[in-house]
Amino acid sequence: MLDLHGLTIGADGTTLVRDLSLSVPATGITALIGPSGCGKSSVLKWLAGILPKGLQAEGQVMLDGQAIARPCPAISYQPQSDALFPWLTVAQNAALGLQIRGLSRAEALKRVAPLFRSFGLEGTEGQFPDQLSGGMRQRAAFLRTVVHDSRYVLLDEPFSALDAVTRLRMQDWLVARLADRPRGVLMVTHDLHEATGLANRILVMAGSPGRIVAEIPMPLSHTLRSEAALALLRDKLKSLLLENAP
Amino acid sequence: MLPRILPPLLLAASLLAGWEIYCRLADVAPLILPAPSGVLQALVSNRADIGAHALSTIAVVALGFSLSVGFAFLVSIMLHFLPWAKKGLMPLFVASQTVPLVALAPLMILWFGFGLLPKVLLVILVTFFPMLLSLLSGYQQTPTDFTDLLASMGARRFSVFRHAVLPSARPSFFAGLRISATYAIVATIFAEYAGARRGLGIYILAAKNNFHADLVLAAVVVSAGLTLALLGAIRLLDRLTARGPKARYA
Repeated sequence: MLDLHGLTIGADGTTLVRDLSLSVPATGITALIGPSGCGKSSVLKWLAGILPKGLQAEGQVMLDGQAIARPCPAISYQPQSDALFPWLTVAQNAALGLQIRGLSRAEALKRVAPLFRSFGLEGTEGQFPDQLSGGMRQRAAFLRTVVHDSRYVLLDEPFSALDAVTRLRMQDWLVARLADRPRGVLMVTHDLHEATGLANRILVMAGSPGRIVAEIPMPLSHTLRSEAALALLRDKLKSLLLENAP
Repeated sequence: MLPRILPPLLLAASLLAGWEIYCRLADVAPLILPAPSGVLQALVSNRADIGAHALSTIAVVALGFSLSVGFAFLVSIMLHFLPWAKKGLMPLFVASQTVPLVALAPLMILWFGFGLLPKVLLVILVTFFPMLLSLLSGYQQTPTDFTDLLASMGARRFSVFRHAVLPSARPSFFAGLRISATYAIVATIFAEYAGARRGLGIYILAAKNNFHADLVLAAVVVSAGLTLALLGAIRLLDRLTARGPKARYA
């Protein structure tokens, strides 16, 4: 379990996030939703150990009950864009994290090579990111994120730049990949359909300052959720967001 | 390739034709304004002499420009990692650009003689700053998502620089290289003009003093050719080192 306790983020006398606590289970997707500017991405960045300059933060992160410093190899982060480096091939991009963590380029490439098939990227190893479709780029980015056996994955609006059809495909693909390679995922999203369709648990944030106002567990597995039940849940989430709007 | 070079070639040919026709119809004295055919004739007749002087200019440009690019690269890395040094040094670098070459070139000759050193120093002085600015501006254009991603992987500052910042500065680097290359040729010729034993600058001065306008213009043609050749070499280097289908060329 990844636990965040008492996070307060501020800048120049204003408080962006106040005394926020949340937990991410070792498996399944926890969705973090909330209005723009409520501090969702800042929470994610702070967990990843990359809070932007000018922001100050206080709080503690516990991994299985032990306080940890970040960046931490147990936690991977994927920013809003796929952040694939255009000057590296897809394989080199996927291997980048392993290189940063000390493997030689050859060893890192060897380690990622067998994964391309299961990520639907076979044959793209030597291509550059600009030669891939939006969905393939996201898969390549996700491969880079999960390749180094981190137990928790932080995804910042991973599908927001994709068209509707590709987004639906990628959501199904993410659920299937997490079934193969279980991870604890904390995903920031604006999309209520995405949150209700994918998450095992939804955390609702309100702004000014950012705080969690509701935690909604999703009792059924993804395949058993009926559209009627999801529509009701989306209405509930919408009401919560509107009630807590500034 | 052809559609790209055709418009400037046609324009240049039209201008030269107009110049030639004017000189012939107005019967302009070659001492004042030689026709392009006269300039070409002077260039061919004096090719050995002009070629020897051009070689000397090429040597100064090659040495001065290489040193300048290398120096700018090292200083840019230092300033990137040491913001306080950037704050302290940038005003000095800016001030160095305000010193008129016409004042500095004779002083350099006075201090360092007629050899290679003063000319190389002038080339460095003129080309270093645009190169430095291009590199620093390129470093700042690194997408935040790239640096965040590497930092979240535990990359140290130099690793972030090597994997994300430096490659992101590539288009700016080549843009700066192109601008500085043109400055390098002009600065070398000016330094030679101020005082030298060999070089296109001193050749132009001697030709002017002897009222050989055709030789002055012949040397100008050679210097323009050198600039175009240097820009072509930079473009080739850019293409050879580019990675990815959408890599931008200078």
